[in-house]
Amino acid sequence: MNRELRWKIAEMISRAGEGHIPSSFSIVDLLDVLYGQFLRVKSTRPDWEGRDYFILSKGHGAAALYVVLEKYGFISERDLNLKSKKEGILGGHPDRTKVPGAEASTGSLGHGVVTAMGIALGLRIQGKKNRVVSIIGDGESNEGTVWEMALVAANLALGNLCVILDRNMSIDQILSMSHAREKWEAFGWRVLETDGHDEKEILRTLKDVQFSLNGQPTMIIAKTIKGKGVGFLEGHGLWHHKIPNNEELTRIKSELTI
Amino acid sequence: MISPKGNKSLRQSFADTMVAVGKRDPHLVVLIGDISHHMLQPFAKACPGRFYNIGICEPAMVNMAAGLAKVGLHPVVHTIAPFIVERSFEQIKLDFGYQELGVNLVTVGSAFDYAALGCTHHCYGDFALLKTIPGADLYYPASPVEFERLFRKVYKNGRINYFRLPEAQHGQRIPANMIEPGKAVVMKRGKDVTLIGLGPHLKTCLEAAVLLHTQGINAEVLYIHTVRPLDVAAIRRSLRKTGNCLVVEEHSKYGGLFDDVLRSTNDITGVRYNGVNIGNQFMHNYGTYGQHCESSGLTANNVAALAAKLIIQKPVWQK
Repeated sequence: MNRELRWKIAEMISRAGEGHIPSSFSIVDLLDVLYGQFLRVKSTRPDWEGRDYFILSKGHGAAALYVVLEKYGFISERDLNLKSKKEGILGGHPDRTKVPGAEASTGSLGHGVVTAMGIALGLRIQGKKNRVVSIIGDGESNEGTVWEMALVAANLALGNLCVILDRNMSIDQILSMSHAREKWEAFGWRVLETDGHDEKEILRTLKDVQFSLNGQPTMIIAKTIKGKGVGFLEGHGLWHHKIPNNEELTRIKSELTI
Repeated sequence: MISPKGNKSLRQSFADTMVAVGKRDPHLVVLIGDISHHMLQPFAKACPGRFYNIGICEPAMVNMAAGLAKVGLHPVVHTIAPFIVERSFEQIKLDFGYQELGVNLVTVGSAFDYAALGCTHHCYGDFALLKTIPGADLYYPASPVEFERLFRKVYKNGRINYFRLPEAQHGQRIPANMIEPGKAVVMKRGKDVTLIGLGPHLKTCLEAAVLLHTQGINAEVLYIHTVRPLDVAAIRRSLRKTGNCLVVEEHSKYGGLFDDVLRSTNDITGVRYNGVNIGNQFMHNYGTYGQHCESSGLTANNVAALAAKLIIQKPVWQK
């Protein structure tokens, strides 16, 4: 579990006065492993043709993407400081026309992962071996287009596509997405599981994905905790889109032992 | 009465154009929602690995084309108009408009072409909806040569190119070199009233012009195959001359070409306007395409009558 990135998220969102802290804490370890140890990307040339493609389909986790893009040199600390400001490039959801390294403008759920599938098909048509990874939320999995994508990707045998499900159980209080493994397997996907906060296990699981141009697409069910790392943020209540005051920010800092 | 007979269908022109363009351009990829599957088999054979019958899931089909565009391909997405424009509207808006990616949306089932199938297969608000998306251009070719010409010119321009392909055609031979995206075609010169015809209703307007001639009224007929970008200059030129304007279109009264004509010419003094369209209704009745046209007044007799009325009712000082 990465404490520094969590603190950056909390600080940035507090300063911006807008953002989804618990959703970002849920996925930040996945993103850190992806960008730090797995994806072939170049921060100096975000549109490099040989890059692997990553799309954060659950766009409201944008703060996690931003701090990771900053950590690996795609954007600057100044960009983080200007989050949600008129003169800044970072908003509550990523805009691909503004943010270097953001492959898709997500926010409306059930779009980014479908774009990722199209990228996977487009790469295969051209015989290119770039890998395609996308993170969806379990709330996002309520969207019909996610399941349209699940059907089509398996039917087209897009083995170069790997989708990670941020399975923090948030949606189960409303419209349950239980039996995720069985659902995705029934749709024809190869399903792997990982602890979404254990960097070594995340990397091991990613390395187990074959990314073949023809084969089963892969679903990685990442068991995560919404708000992971700060006790009072964890769970599925009022902190979803709440901004901490100074006292709460201090508590976050101390719980993260920064 | 408009008849599609005697010409290659627009749908066949689409299929042929895909083969011709696809053979030369390895970046052309066609996705369909189980419509025109057999007609597109020559493309599938000529361009292996670039034809996909995705299934019955139009929003995902439209959305995934954005991924194709991102890796440098030129996607063509094809099915019946309402399933692309209305069912998948947010995909067009966000995945292409907002993200500035290009796509070619080629639809059949223009307006009420599927007359006997009922309103689920009708689409008469497509121009209104798509005009709200920055970066979307609207093409409505009603002869095979127009589709091929327009498609070739714009398919890789990185914009949202919407093609509404009607079943009925206007039956006029327009020289290919007169068909330019965004350019109106003056089909008949006149001085008393401008009839602006869209799609197959170019024919309706030309027939109305003949009827008007017997009444001593000399109508000018403009043909619009590109609803956006609209040839505002040509329309203004004509209206300045005639001072009377009638727009004939298979579209809702809201957001069709009539609205754009009013908006782009309302500073010209003294022009009188009317529009023939389908009003604001669901066309609940079944029947034929021709019967639907008649029930909405999309006939030469009605167009001629309304055009004459514009002139007759004009205040003396404006005549």
